[in-house]
Amino acid sequence: MKKYILALLFLLPLTLFANLSVAVTYPYIGALTKAIGGDKVDTVVLAKGNWDPHFVVPRPSLIAKVRDADALIMNGGQLEIGWLPPLIDRASNPKIATNAKTFLDLSQHVELLQKPTSVDRSGGDVHPDGNPHFHLDPNNILILAGTVKEFLISIDSQNSAEYEKNYAQFSDMWNKKLDMWKTNMTDKKGLKVVQYHNVMAYFNHAYGLTSIATIEPLPGIPPSSKHTMELIELIKKENPCCILHDVYHDTKTAEFISEKSEIKVVIMPHDVGALDTIEDLVSLFDYLTSAVK
Amino acid sequence: MKKIVLAIALCATLALAGESGGSFDQSKFIPDVSLIVDTGYVHRNVSNADLENSVPTSKYGDYGTFKEFNTNNGFNLNYAEMALHSNVDQAFELDGIFHYATESVEIEEAYFTTKALPYSFRVKGGKFKSDFGRLNSQHAHVWDFADAPLVYNSFLSPEGINAPGVQFQWLAPTPWYMKLGFEAMQKGNGGTFANDFDKKDGEALYVGYLKNSFDVKDASLLFGVSYANGVSNIEDAVSALPIYKGNSEIYGADLSVKNYFNSYSFINWQSELLYRDMKSDDATIDKDKKQSGYYTQLVYQMDENWKTGLRYEGFLQDSNGGKTTMDASYKTSEFAQLRLQYSHDEAFKQNDVKKAIDEIVLQLTFAIGAHGAHSF
Repeated sequence: MKKYILALLFLLPLTLFANLSVAVTYPYIGALTKAIGGDKVDTVVLAKGNWDPHFVVPRPSLIAKVRDADALIMNGGQLEIGWLPPLIDRASNPKIATNAKTFLDLSQHVELLQKPTSVDRSGGDVHPDGNPHFHLDPNNILILAGTVKEFLISIDSQNSAEYEKNYAQFSDMWNKKLDMWKTNMTDKKGLKVVQYHNVMAYFNHAYGLTSIATIEPLPGIPPSSKHTMELIELIKKENPCCILHDVYHDTKTAEFISEKSEIKVVIMPHDVGALDTIEDLVSLFDYLTSAVK
Repeated sequence: MKKIVLAIALCATLALAGESGGSFDQSKFIPDVSLIVDTGYVHRNVSNADLENSVPTSKYGDYGTFKEFNTNNGFNLNYAEMALHSNVDQAFELDGIFHYATESVEIEEAYFTTKALPYSFRVKGGKFKSDFGRLNSQHAHVWDFADAPLVYNSFLSPEGINAPGVQFQWLAPTPWYMKLGFEAMQKGNGGTFANDFDKKDGEALYVGYLKNSFDVKDASLLFGVSYANGVSNIEDAVSALPIYKGNSEIYGADLSVKNYFNSYSFINWQSELLYRDMKSDDATIDKDKKQSGYYTQLVYQMDENWKTGLRYEGFLQDSNGGKTTMDASYKTSEFAQLRLQYSHDEAFKQNDVKKAIDEIVLQLTFAIGAHGAHSF
């Protein structure tokens, strides 16, 4: 027994040289953290990219993942309200407490759209702080990269040069891509779209698309036949280009609507890993900006 | 009466606090508030009076009531539960859960939890539900069925182990989830560890458990072992005569395998076995008892709306029969659930005649206020 304790004591100082371990809620935050943190940071991603970000399963294994994290970065805007609080609560890790300086809520650093003036659950499961899917505006990605950079420097100033360098590289690359995506999307401006849930609000905002309706009658409430029939009528009248559909809801209703109104269904990945081909942030927006036709 | 005044005062405070503005505005400091209301309609082949007089045919349930909710044929208001939660400061958070029945109010739980202890330690204190076994810490509104398993009701009482005490929990630095817990409590809460009128001075119950979980692809495995050791000082509720005095131990083992198909759909197979060893101090009142009981259940969540479950349970020694329960529930949103449950229970006899109880329950559960976390 003594031997083991001794061995542990010798191993302990090794942790001093270890990388910063940062837990993040969604894969896109993981991609950003990797881009800025480089090889100074180990990233632990909690949610799966191809599942509903509102309904991450609060598996006990996730508690083990955040138990020893040095920092936590979350999306915020109440996207994690249903699953993250109990994990933070049970992990007993003061470094990921919401008041810790090693805790980052990204939603505090971007402007949220669609902030409701009043909220009531009869209007569905609305997010009182506004639409939380802000990372789907590629211009916001740049802001978020800057936020992550400042955050990493604030908790690990030793490696600030590395983080500054990685950020500079990332923003150069991203600015070039932004121009390219903008060019791709110029002729899409003014197009009307239908969605399942208003996930693409920021993407639509960035490129001037207008979302006229959602397949779910209210946020978070599954489709009803009455609403679907009304939607088909609306589509016939307004003539939107397509239904932008997430990867995690069943496309059954969308396909039914498509059949009745001859509207296209376009699958729109919302995060890294949502589809097998979406391996990073660049491929995510490459896909999105060429999907709407 | 006092309690009602208290409740009204609390509501008034909340209402007043809602009027924000001014230099000394405190409205931002209102804790998270939620209210859960649970009602049911029951149709049973046994009259209310007979149900109250039913005696278990096996020796498992000598000290315990068997039902807390949906006790009457016809309409039942089971409870209204108000929960308050907030950080106290950087070191503590505080939870209060108030259980309102038609004519009573009870502090179901009121406890602090530490936030900033090092080495993955956490301490809880106050009155709280013990983390014994898989179900004891769960509140009724997250149960997979309208009622708790028979073995829980009879060994731990319908309210479970819930008493003033202190809890220490530690997360081991293992690659998988491993939690070690220890609790010392003033007494049980009815059931095996009833310490009626605090006949033993000081704490009377110790609980320990080890829980593990890891994932295999999209499935999560959970397994745990629990142990409780405490004083039993049980009196007959009517005559106040002692019916048991001694020391009791309960050993528990639980296993569940939960596989998620996507964000909304899963299948969960969950089983638990409890073994109770009661050693009587006074053989003239009652003798030593060894008993064990179990349940095994399969729950299938089809989509965001529909969920269905099947449970079989019974006792291993001197069992008269098992109980089979099935239910189906529909959620209009995350905040409202309708459940239809049928159960067939062969474990009881009424007026010395063995008689199976068939029961249909239509249960409605609503939640308003702060968004609760999804349960696992």
